[in-house]
Amino acid sequence: MNFRSARSAIKAISLGWLFALALFGGVDGQTKRPVRKPPSGPLPKVTKIDQTRYAELIKPQTKPLLINFWATWCGPCREEFPDLVKIDYAYKGKIDFITISLDFEEELNTGVPQFLKEMKADIPTYLLITPDESAAIAMISDDWGGALPLTVLFAPNGERVLFKQGIVKPAELKAAIDKLIAQPAQ
Amino acid sequence: MRKILTAFLAVAGLMAFVMMPLVALANAPEIGSTVESFSLPDTDGKTQTLESLKGKNGTVVVWLSAECPVVAGYKNRINEIAAAYKDKGIAFIGINSNATEDLNWVKSNMAEYGYKFPVLIDKGNVLADKWEASVTPEVYFLDNKNVLKYHGAVDNDRSGKNVQEYFLKTAFDSSLSGKAIEKTKTAAFGCSIKRAGKPAE
Repeated sequence: MNFRSARSAIKAISLGWLFALALFGGVDGQTKRPVRKPPSGPLPKVTKIDQTRYAELIKPQTKPLLINFWATWCGPCREEFPDLVKIDYAYKGKIDFITISLDFEEELNTGVPQFLKEMKADIPTYLLITPDESAAIAMISDDWGGALPLTVLFAPNGERVLFKQGIVKPAELKAAIDKLIAQPAQ
Repeated sequence: MRKILTAFLAVAGLMAFVMMPLVALANAPEIGSTVESFSLPDTDGKTQTLESLKGKNGTVVVWLSAECPVVAGYKNRINEIAAAYKDKGIAFIGINSNATEDLNWVKSNMAEYGYKFPVLIDKGNVLADKWEASVTPEVYFLDNKNVLKYHGAVDNDRSGKNVQEYFLKTAFDSSLSGKAIEKTKTAAFGCSIKRAGKPAE
């Protein structure tokens, strides 16, 4: 082996080591877990509402109104959220869509907007703070025990056309929305 | 033709009358109705019944969860109320119907949260379905004859920072003093009970 080929061999071995270090993340053989950074940039605005504002918001105006009740501490809510974001983008301008978070007030400027940002959600979101949750629940339906998530779709005339406790099936929700927007305005 | 129609309506009416109690029995307990006893294993595998655990002045059946943050927020208040009313003859029974929480988790959670009352395992959420319990925590207060007197939330504030209405304690105090309970039914936001076969609902 001449000097040049020896140098090439050392270079190749060094590159191999570097590749192995990059791949396995260290000489101790432990895989470094990716650090989950909070989303950068400005966070979406989440508006705190009381019972009076809530009563106004749950009434449809001129378009069908879709409302999703959720919380960051609710596993099924987080699970279904990406589908709701897709539905929001698909039906923008055709329906009114809002989400109402039942998180604790401390999450108003932290957990809730951070989650919305992670989800790339552009849905108007409100955080309800009320001393009478029972009344807030009854305003939607007596059939609702308060379990999250809940998705409700109202026709423009206020008729409730979909009421789904638990994860909503996107196809079922889309079918209900399509049926509503296909109807001539009353 | 008229006779046939009359006979048909009479049979239909009779059937509706006969079926009515069966339909009523299948429904969740209503305020003022007597709750049937139930039998479920505790966290040590010992079978317990409502009759064996009931208090002499009433019983609270409370649906719990090891993972639900709302239950975590209520654990101290539930423990305090259970301790304060134990001497007044009101017993607490916890129920865990969540298919996603195994026995070991429920057992360790019981120790971690310091529950001094039994937590029963409702495998397959049979009791939750029968009572139509939907969230955690959700409480049912029965009097000493197992008549449902109050159903709903412990109080009006999940965070515990701004409690204005002590629904459960008020129900106890009214019941113990022989007065009518003013608020017999409330609802509150909570974690949905993770039912078997329906993990997301």
